[in-house]
Order: sequence, then C-alpha cells, then structure tokens
Amino acid sequence: MEKFKILIRNYPFIAFIIAFCILALVPSVIFTDVYQSHLATLIFVNIVVAAGLNIVKGFCGQVTVGHVGLFAVGSYTAGTLFLYLGLGFWVTLPIAIIVTAFFGVAMGIPSFRLEGPYLALATLGGGEAIRLFIENGNFFRSTFGISDIPTPSLMGYNFDSPDRYYFISMTIMIIAVYFSFSILRSGVGRAFMSIREDPICAAAAGINVKKYKILAFILSAMFAGAAGAVYAHMPPGYIHPNNYTVIEMVTFLAMVVLGGLGHIWGGIIGAIVITIVYDLTRPLYKYQLLIFGLTIVLTILFMPKGLGGFIDRYFLEKRFKKKTGTEKTT
Amino acid sequence: MILKTKQLSKSFGGLKAINKVDFELPKNEIRGIIGPNGSGKSTFFNLVSGIYDSDPGSYIEFDGHDITFTPPHEIASYGLSRTFQLLRLYQDMTVIDNVMSGYHTRVPYKFFDAVIGRKKIWDQERAIKEEMMELLSFVGLADYAELNASELSGGQRRLLVLARAIAMKPKLLMLDEPAAGLSPVNVDNLMKIIMQLKEKYGLTLIIIEHILKVVMDTCNSVTVFDHGQKIAEGTPAQVKDDNAVIEAYLGKKMDDEEMRKALAV
Repeated sequence: MEKFKILIRNYPFIAFIIAFCILALVPSVIFTDVYQSHLATLIFVNIVVAAGLNIVKGFCGQVTVGHVGLFAVGSYTAGTLFLYLGLGFWVTLPIAIIVTAFFGVAMGIPSFRLEGPYLALATLGGGEAIRLFIENGNFFRSTFGISDIPTPSLMGYNFDSPDRYYFISMTIMIIAVYFSFSILRSGVGRAFMSIREDPICAAAAGINVKKYKILAFILSAMFAGAAGAVYAHMPPGYIHPNNYTVIEMVTFLAMVVLGGLGHIWGGIIGAIVITIVYDLTRPLYKYQLLIFGLTIVLTILFMPKGLGGFIDRYFLEKRFKKKTGTEKTT
Repeated sequence: MILKTKQLSKSFGGLKAINKVDFELPKNEIRGIIGPNGSGKSTFFNLVSGIYDSDPGSYIEFDGHDITFTPPHEIASYGLSRTFQLLRLYQDMTVIDNVMSGYHTRVPYKFFDAVIGRKKIWDQERAIKEEMMELLSFVGLADYAELNASELSGGQRRLLVLARAIAMKPKLLMLDEPAAGLSPVNVDNLMKIIMQLKEKYGLTLIIIEHILKVVMDTCNSVTVFDHGQKIAEGTPAQVKDDNAVIEAYLGKKMDDEEMRKALAV
C-alpha cells in the first residue's frame, strides 16, 4: 500500500487511468437504462465547466458571471463548423477550445481594472451579449438552434447513443480533471491563490498579476470550450440559445460554491451533486431557481468552503490533534 | 551600493509625500528608517518596491538594475523582498502555502511542465516544500503548517510574514514595522530571529520601526524622514543628538529669551 502511494505521488496519471477503468465499467454494472448514461454525460460536461470555473473564480478569485457565454462559444463553434463545413467531433473539439480561449482573453481583460461585483457585472454583460448575438444572428440559425450535429466515430465505431457517448464525455472529463489537478497543485495554483488573497502582496512577491489573471481566464475558457463542444455533439446533437442563459450560469455557480470555492475537488463534487439533484427535482421546476439561490446563500453562510472544505477541515482537525495533542478550536 | 535613489519624488495631488530623496545603501548593512507618522517612510518603501510609480525625474537603482519604472514583480525577481505594515497575509491559504507562494520567483519549472504534470515537477515541489518547512521550523511555526493563516495569533502572523518574505532568498529585505503591536519579549525574540536570518542568508536590511530601542540596538545606520524629506542620516548615536531630528520629534528647542517672546504674544 505504501509503495502504491509513492507510485501515485510520482505518477499521478496512474490514479486517473484507474479512475478511467472504474468509470468505464459503471454503465454495464450499475446503469439500468439509457437515460442514466445521458445523465452521466451531463454530469461529466458539468464537471468540466465547473472545474474550469473553479480555476478562475475559486482559485484566482475573479468573480465571473459570463462563463456560460464561453460555454456557448464552445458549443456554437462546434455547431457552426459542422453546419457550414461539415466537420466532425475530432476537428471541432480542438478548434472550439482554441476559439473559446480567445473569448476568454476578451472576458478577462476587464479584470485588470475591475474587481468583485463590478467585474461580475462586466462579465455578466459579456456572457449575455454572446447569447443575444447568437440568438439574433441568422448565421447561427438564431432561435431555431442547430440540430443533427453528428456524434463522433472512431475507427468505424460510432458513439451514436447516450450509452456509447458516455465513453467520449468520460474521457474528456478525466483529461480535463487531470489537467486542472496538475495545474492547481503546482506553483501556478499557488500564484492564483495569492492573487485571490492579495494582488498587491502577490505582485511584491514576484507574481505577474496581469499575466496570471489572464492565464486563469484562458484556462477556464478552454475547459468551457471543451465542455461546450462535447455538449454540442452529445446525442441528439441539438443546441439552442436558451441552453446558455443566466439560469444555467447560476447552476454552474451553485456547483462551484457548493463543492467548495478554491477547493481542488470543489467543481467536481458540486457538479455531481447539483446535476443529480437538478434531475431529481424536475417535477418541482417552478422552485428550482429558488432552491439553487438558497443553496448558494446558505452554503456561503454556513459552509464558506463548501463540501470539500468541510471534509478537509474534519481530517485536518484530527491530524492537528494527533500531532500536538491539543484541540484547535476557531 | 545595493540600493540607490536620486531625486526620488512622489506627490499625491498637491501633497509631496516624498520630496527629492537621495538614498544610498551599501551591501550587508542594517539601515533603520525612522520619522514621525506621515513622514513618507512607507511611501518610500512603496516607491522602491514598485507599487507606486515615482514622479518624473526620479531615479532608483537596485543591484545594478534601473528599476525606476519597473513593475513590482520584476523588481522582486531581481531579489528585493518586502513586508507590509498591514501584513497582507493570505488569510484563506494554509501557512505552508503562504510561505511557498513567497518562493514563486525561484520556482524552477515552466508552466507547460506543470500542465502535463511530469514527475520532475512533483519532485521539485516536494523539495520546495521541505525547504519551506525548514524555514517554518526556524521561525517556530512548523506545527501550524497546515492551518489557515487566519487562525494564527498576532505574533505568529508577524513571523509568518517574515518567513514569506525570506522565502524568495532576497538580496535586500525591507521590513515595514516588523514589531508593531508585539510585547517587549516578543520584540526581542523577533529581532533575534531577524538577525539570525540575516547571518544565514547574507541579507541587507532596511527596517522601518517606531520602537526606537530596536532601531538603536540593531541598526548600523539610521535615516530620518520628516515631511517627505530626508533630514538626517548617520550612526544611531549621531542621529540621536541631531538637532533636526529632535525638532521633528519633540519640536524646536528654545532658549529663555525666545520662550518669553513666544509666551508674550
């Protein structure tokens, strides 16, 4: 067991390969119908978006409310590339990631001068502008949406049903989470956190604040772009501007806040919990927004570091007690 | 000369916070900066570390680099580290992360390696962590490494900020009131740690301090600021007897004749 731990510590990707194998077995062992695979794909897409949002909001502390706009950019890049050029998933995915990264730069530039609620307003404007642009442009099929976006196929095997597409979304999710982990656990993650805590002191400690702010925006945009492309190609392959409203943004925010702002697992825990709860409470759709708003407020009030921080705290107090023999109460 | 300023000025609107200061600091010296409140000591620090831009006509040189209009993160990469009067602790980060973020300028790997997550990154990260744990145990905070910085006491916070500033192995360390709000015993302890760190890393120090005992005991030389101007400089003993300094702190010394005139009017 000790040896295994050291192996994982040196080569973290082994843990991700194991996670991949376990998740690959899930559909055949646990799932009873196709809908569950569809739900799992949605969870994976949300995990990718929430992991990206956690980088910029949780770690770098830049309050962005336009992230759903970047998600839309990813989806519509994939959609329009298919619509006009007939390109498939394997081409549209990298292009969507790159295009979204550029939009991320545009979204991040206001953060040089704005902070907190003002930045939130600016990015909210950015996100809504993207949606309205799509909704009113004939180029993007406006409110008809883009339909029949094909599922990807690999070496003659077509991932054309939800239980097959599960593997595509899962792979992308594992890769995205791996990248987010290795970025956030390295010095880059620390630089993000120090910018969140105190930009002036971070600058005095040698951190290029502007560079790292824009880097956080680019990274999170790339995550959103990848998620958007996966979402667009998801069977039945239909995207519509109404999938990218402020309501979706609030859902993404609720995921990150509930999972733990600035906690490395934050976006992942939140995305799993919120997506499942969202699905189970569909009959109560009238009250869903109310519940999510309440979730955000209550989490910030009583669990400011979310579920992830809550669990961490429990183990930390145990370790501290073991080490020093005293109770640490705050 | 590790730090040199010529005609350094900074005005906020009509107020001249720093007015034509010429300042020179040789290597391995401990320089104290004293002066009444609002005399421009902290502004001087902010100008040198690049947080404020100085007025046109100023010139700052650090270790052979012209840093007059250099952004703060580049100045830090030349080896200038500072602490803040209001600490500016990273409250929501663990103690060890606080110190490790001070290491930023010395992180050896590139961003792309971090994204891929290669083995050498984790080896280097562990080496950094070990080195920083050593530093933490040197200042006596090793037991608290995993706690949030906001959970430390006032004295421990001062030590943590000091450790964070040292983490980048600076050539010049500027301490802005390191002992403010500490009890006399803690002040002695802190000064002892600072002196040990100076020996260990071969630092040059500038210390702003209001506790004159600290300045007089530890500093090789003292610069006195008043109303944004340098009014005296020299060894602690010289400065103590300087008329301009006494005037700045206590007011003008009058003989009997002058006193009588002043009271009559």
